[in-house]
Amino acid sequence: MSELAMRYRRKSARHEIELSAPKGGVTRLHVPDEDAKAHLVTAMLKARCEPGEELELFGEAASTLAPAGRARLRAKVGAVSPIVGLVANLNAWENIALPAAYHGRPTLEQVAELARAVLGAFGADAAAFFARLPEELGVLERKLASFVRSLVAAPQLMIFDALEDGLSRAECLHTARFEAEYRARAPQGTLVYVDTQEEA
Amino acid sequence: MLQALREIEGGIQLSLNVAVRAPRLAVPPIFESFLRQVYFTGVTAATGVVLRACLLGVIIIAVLMDMLDADVDLAVKILLLLVFRELGPLAAAAVVILRTGTAVSAEMAMMRISGQTRALRYLGIDLYDYLVLPRVAGVMLATAVLTFYVQFLAVLGGLALSPFIIEATFTELAGRLFELFTPVDFYYSVIKSLLFGYAVAACCCWHGLNPPDLTQNAVPKVVTRAVMQSAMLVLLINAVFAYVVFGILFFGLVKANV
Repeated sequence: MSELAMRYRRKSARHEIELSAPKGGVTRLHVPDEDAKAHLVTAMLKARCEPGEELELFGEAASTLAPAGRARLRAKVGAVSPIVGLVANLNAWENIALPAAYHGRPTLEQVAELARAVLGAFGADAAAFFARLPEELGVLERKLASFVRSLVAAPQLMIFDALEDGLSRAECLHTARFEAEYRARAPQGTLVYVDTQEEA
Repeated sequence: MLQALREIEGGIQLSLNVAVRAPRLAVPPIFESFLRQVYFTGVTAATGVVLRACLLGVIIIAVLMDMLDADVDLAVKILLLLVFRELGPLAAAAVVILRTGTAVSAEMAMMRISGQTRALRYLGIDLYDYLVLPRVAGVMLATAVLTFYVQFLAVLGGLALSPFIIEATFTELAGRLFELFTPVDFYYSVIKSLLFGYAVAACCCWHGLNPPDLTQNAVPKVVTRAVMQSAMLVLLINAVFAYVVFGILFFGLVKANV
């Protein structure tokens, strides 16, 4: 049996969910509704579970972890999700660079290099893209900015939360590039697509 | 009552957090945010609104001098005691509350409601570091500078206007003003304006980060509460400060037995 990057269990009045994702693989998780999805993504991002939830990340039970342990696990998780949106009064570059500038790693040159490479793969003009505020970006572009910001932290577990939500048919064709770009930078990384069942 | 206690506790907690985190201002994105706050509170206000506030000061001087049939001594005392010590800092604080207080509280509330503060936390960015500290420090500095700007323009305006109302020349008035002026007047207004800026920013940040609910309707409620409480805090600080330093309250209506 392969090692798990994530195992999640939630028992609520309406549903009982049990999900897992093997390390290094690509897993599509379907949950019954938006509420369950928000709980799942939030639990993984916070590395913390609420009553009725059980979460294991990289073999460690979140409920038994001290704050420092949770912070260590949180650093391994990245997400493209409406839960982790962009900051409205910062332009795309400031949004992408903010975590790196705040934590002091990686350097802004490295962030710019990574961002240009990823944006180039999506056929976007980096200079024009960087200067725009989130409200001036389209849905796919906002997801792209959020993706690049997550990639900067080199996460071992990347969550794509309802990646195709709000995208046109033509834009949906680009979503495979997200996986390819992540895989190119983290060959051993784990990818988790999360969606609700009605959208599945 | 409970709400009031919660707000006082929150205010104290926020103040301690800001004080402890002051060295974090050197971190690049926090410093950038600080500079942006200084620009929006100080520089943009200085161009238009402050000038109007100064005109208000000049009008007050004109009316008072005319009403009291002032001589050189009284005119200079009005300029120093009323305009420099009291109206200058209060006018600057009013400008800061109306422009920055409303903007900061609404911006913070919108960030909280739209989940942007949550996103920052997930990115490992502390809200006190990134949102509160640069705003509080920026507003403090900008308020002090604005106060000095208002005082300078209002006193200059008063000196320029007085010769038209009383029998005195500009140089006579200016000479008398410098005789009466003490360094205490300067330190008094600088410290007071820093406290005003601190109170306004801390109050608006706290209300912005703690909206009554997470709907769009909460934004106007947050702004109203923040502005009202900021104004009350400024008046309270002004009264306490005047009493502690000069033994007077409410522009001299109440005097201490010192």
